[in-house]
Amino acid sequence: MKSALRKLGPAASTVLSLGALLVLWEILARLAQIDGFPPATEALVQVPLILGERESLASIGASLWRMFLGGALALCFAVPVGLAMGRNKRIAQALNPVLTAAYPIPKAALMPIIMLWFGVGDLSKVLVIFLGVSLPLIYHSFHGAHAVDEKLLWSAMAMGMKPVARLFKVVLPSALPDVLLGCRVGLAMALIVMISSEMIARQSGAGDLLFNALDMALYGDVYAMIVILAAIGFVLDWVFERVRRRLVHWAESRQDAMVPGGGV
Amino acid sequence: MSEPMIAIQGLTKRFSTADGRRHLAIDDVNVEVAEGEFVSILGPSGCGKSTLLYMVGGFVAPSSGAITVQGRPVTGPGPDRGPVFQEFALFPWKTVLENVMYGLRQQGVSKAEAEARARALLDMVHLKDFADFYPKELSGGMRQRVAIARTLAYQPQILLMDEPFGALDAHTRTVLQNELLGIWERDRKTVLFVTHGVDEAVFLSDRVVVMTRAPGRIKKVVEIDLPRPRVRAELLVNRRYQEYIVELEQLIEDVHLEAAGA
Ligand SMILES: Nc1ncnc2c1ncn2[C@@H]1O[C@H](COP(=O)(O)OP(=O)(O)OP(=O)(O)O)[C@@H](O)[C@H]1O
Ligand SMILES: [Mg+2]
Repeated sequence: MKSALRKLGPAASTVLSLGALLVLWEILARLAQIDGFPPATEALVQVPLILGERESLASIGASLWRMFLGGALALCFAVPVGLAMGRNKRIAQALNPVLTAAYPIPKAALMPIIMLWFGVGDLSKVLVIFLGVSLPLIYHSFHGAHAVDEKLLWSAMAMGMKPVARLFKVVLPSALPDVLLGCRVGLAMALIVMISSEMIARQSGAGDLLFNALDMALYGDVYAMIVILAAIGFVLDWVFERVRRRLVHWAESRQDAMVPGGGV
Repeated sequence: MSEPMIAIQGLTKRFSTADGRRHLAIDDVNVEVAEGEFVSILGPSGCGKSTLLYMVGGFVAPSSGAITVQGRPVTGPGPDRGPVFQEFALFPWKTVLENVMYGLRQQGVSKAEAEARARALLDMVHLKDFADFYPKELSGGMRQRVAIARTLAYQPQILLMDEPFGALDAHTRTVLQNELLGIWERDRKTVLFVTHGVDEAVFLSDRVVVMTRAPGRIKKVVEIDLPRPRVRAELLVNRRYQEYIVELEQLIEDVHLEAAGA
């Protein structure tokens, strides 16, 4: 039985566990008979209907666009900051307290204040996504740059490599596995902050669709939106994981790796 | 006489420890290494062998004293001194070939020429079929061969080797010692070689510098007057080789006893 499952491979086991989840949902909902908990089938039929509407598609697209913008800005900002902290004690000492204090604050909770300054439009939402993604990205880049093998830098120095070149040619690639780990955490963070920011600044976006449906007690739509968001998260993570593996295929597999290796 | 390749005068190194105390790692070391000479530094763990080598490399600054290379004071690392570390320190994101080409490319050598020279070096260290492998795909012995080739590639006049074979199994170590001697006998670079191994030091060196327990001072310098090219099987039955081994083992023993008795 176990070996049969193993033979099916990761794709099949994903389908299997998702299928089981849906069946469980269906059974529980039919037993519970609560308004706010429609069966899986009722929610799933709404998915094509929502995706078939131009408006809701545009809303979801706008959300993803803001998420992309916020993430891209964070990437440009957070990676250099994290790397600089990792290589320079003074910079680390100056920024570390700020980072530690900012980490536990839910970024979406800053939304009302940011809205006071920048309005309810895209700018505020992109900004909170940027904040939400920046922190884990800084943290992991910092960690990666801090752990760069001194002997690698020395080898480069002996070859005559200058400091700026070393930052890009030795520190950055050395830290890349950690930076990408930060990106993955940041990706999950971006989705969360995207939805919660739209929950607070209701105007457009996937979060807006979700909470409008909730206001109107369209529970089938609410759950359909949740399914859609989960699917988006799943696909983005899948794509990211492919890219990550291509970029750091050279890295020694580590005992503490986040992604469990294939069964041995 | 011509000036020494490396001159170390009154070299002292203090580290400040985490609890604020000053720790004397190297105390007043004086050594001269002639051009083309193979000198080993032998001593117990923690006596400052690596620190000494790193200071010659320009990676660590001395607390006092002077190091000159070909008469010029050392102020930092430079391509005239090529390091080889116990941990190999290959760039893991580069292939074997790219690692070996890297220093040449840094010096502005054209890609085609760098590749040709790198391939010739890989051939010399018996790795020509592994040019496109990544370091993680190689054994320890192979990695250290790549590291040696990478350093030889940019043609430093001096090789600074810090227990380069320390992480390898006994057999691989012997093979690489032979290869290193072969390479050295061909182009006679100046070599400063840190080791724990008495037999390794005698087999390879022209002179062996024995250091005391921390703080590291020079206990004695032993001239190894054995014919070259050296062949291990012949040396093992060579009376003088055996005497050197006994002498150095005795010195190391004394170093340990002094520290324990003090
Ligand atoms: N960066 C550093 N900061 C503080 N102390 C250091 C530092 N590097 C070395 N030391 C100390 O200097 C002394 C000599 O260290 P070193 O690594 O040079 O010894 P070694 O002879 O190479 O030892 P081993 O044979 O184990 O490699 C040790 O007591 C060590 O703790
Ligand atoms: Mg050492």
